[in-house]
Amino acid sequence: MAKLIAVVCGAGINTSTIAEDQIREKVEREGLRDVEVKRILYPDIERFIGMMTVVVSMTKIFRTDLGAPTVQGMPFLIGTKEEKEALLDKIIQMVKAA
Amino acid sequence: MQIIQSAIGWFLGLGSSLIVMFVLLILGLGFRVGFAKALRGGVTTAVGLAGLFLVVNVIISALQPAVQAIADRMGIAKAIVDVNWADAGIAWGWPGTAAVILSIIVVNILMVVLKLTKTIWTDVWSYWHGSALAGIIWALTGSVAWGVVGGVIYLAVGSLMSDMTAKKYQEFNDMPGIGVPCGTTVQASLFAMPVVWLLDRIPGVKDWDASPEGIKKRFGLVGEPMILGLILGMIIGIFAYGGTGTDFGVAKILTLGMNVAVMMLLLPRMVGIIAEGLVPITMSVVQFMKERFKNREIFVAVDCAVLLGHPAVMASSVILFPLCVLLAAILPGVQMLPIASLAVIPFWAGAVVPYTKGNVIKTVIVLLLYSIPFMYFGTLTVDQHTLAFQNMGQYAEQIGQGLKLASWDVGGDILGFIIQSLFKLFGLAAM
Repeated sequence: MAKLIAVVCGAGINTSTIAEDQIREKVEREGLRDVEVKRILYPDIERFIGMMTVVVSMTKIFRTDLGAPTVQGMPFLIGTKEEKEALLDKIIQMVKAA
Repeated sequence: MQIIQSAIGWFLGLGSSLIVMFVLLILGLGFRVGFAKALRGGVTTAVGLAGLFLVVNVIISALQPAVQAIADRMGIAKAIVDVNWADAGIAWGWPGTAAVILSIIVVNILMVVLKLTKTIWTDVWSYWHGSALAGIIWALTGSVAWGVVGGVIYLAVGSLMSDMTAKKYQEFNDMPGIGVPCGTTVQASLFAMPVVWLLDRIPGVKDWDASPEGIKKRFGLVGEPMILGLILGMIIGIFAYGGTGTDFGVAKILTLGMNVAVMMLLLPRMVGIIAEGLVPITMSVVQFMKERFKNREIFVAVDCAVLLGHPAVMASSVILFPLCVLLAAILPGVQMLPIASLAVIPFWAGAVVPYTKGNVIKTVIVLLLYSIPFMYFGTLTVDQHTLAFQNMGQYAEQIGQGLKLASWDVGGDILGFIIQSLFKLFGLAAM
């Protein structure tokens, strides 16, 4: 089954798009196959529980029942290049480990 | 001179999609994002804009006859069609878009250098609130320049509001360094401060709360915009068509429900495509601004969507959806039933829960009060709002036949209304 990196935000309009862009580029650079990067709305997340490999959340993570390891994606919006790269590496490692 | 004028006229005649494509291509090159990214960004936003207008067209053709039928049958005047985020089409498609973007960056840098604000306005997407207001002021005054001035004042005040709220947002959401200068969201926080203070002093109300989990279990489905749209559309359909025709209006009621569901799901998707095209420029603006102010305490502007994580946000929103529609239906003088505009409520809730500490009942009370000025201002500004669409060549035929368009997020915006009123006060309104 393909692995899914879920980029979750409140509206699926702006913040998750910015993160999705950078993660997708990284996934392509790493040459990973079978990894999907997808934007998901917070209100829609129930439908994806069990399908997500890693959750990148653009809001604070108040929930613990998402069934996948979760990282905070704020550096994609306001971080330095180094912070972004470190976070991307971490996400890729989590995907590979899953 | 005449050649220049006719060249400008030809360019503006290309329509908003092509205009925004060229504008973003040029801005992208100016911000050094590279040709491929600049072009892809420009085309993406242009496609999103065209898609947005298509979706709005669907909803106008479905909703206008329905609100008209309600007006005819029940004698209540709620004939303005709610287009909510179609205003993003004004924002990115009106002739002054590029001027708003460049001006607010310059004004913001000046304000930060002079220590008037700590918020660096890096979230290019969220300029749309100012740019849409600018488009409306353009319609109001007949002047692109005044439009730009009004929009930039709005965004500059937004950065001051962000200064006042940033610490609270950061603590509540565990997001050090951010600020949210967005439109009606940050205004909701300012509104919440005194109201929550008051509520906390009323015995009984003080300790009143409801569990977000319980509400979610019972009403969770309604939190999904698509389902909410289906239900709302059918309810409006019942009032408009119930009991008519051979099937008692069932087909029409179902169709309206489906059309509103289409709008609720596709409108934000289209807006998302518009935003996608702005990502390269946003990234470049963030880097540029951060490098300039790295040795000071600054708040980096991010989109209000980051505030939506707390469970109380959706819980209070699903309670507010029907309450707001009811309130708009009974308040005299309010001529627009909120449908598409309900989508803005979760953003408001996100700005209020840090102040109510996640208390659902207090959040609902604050926002029910907060929505009232939006209902009236949306109605009061409807003429210039509709004219802005008309000036851009959108829905010209229907507008000619009397269609009126409004929204909460831009049309009803409190600060936006004040700025529009100032233009009127100084005698600058052409209408």
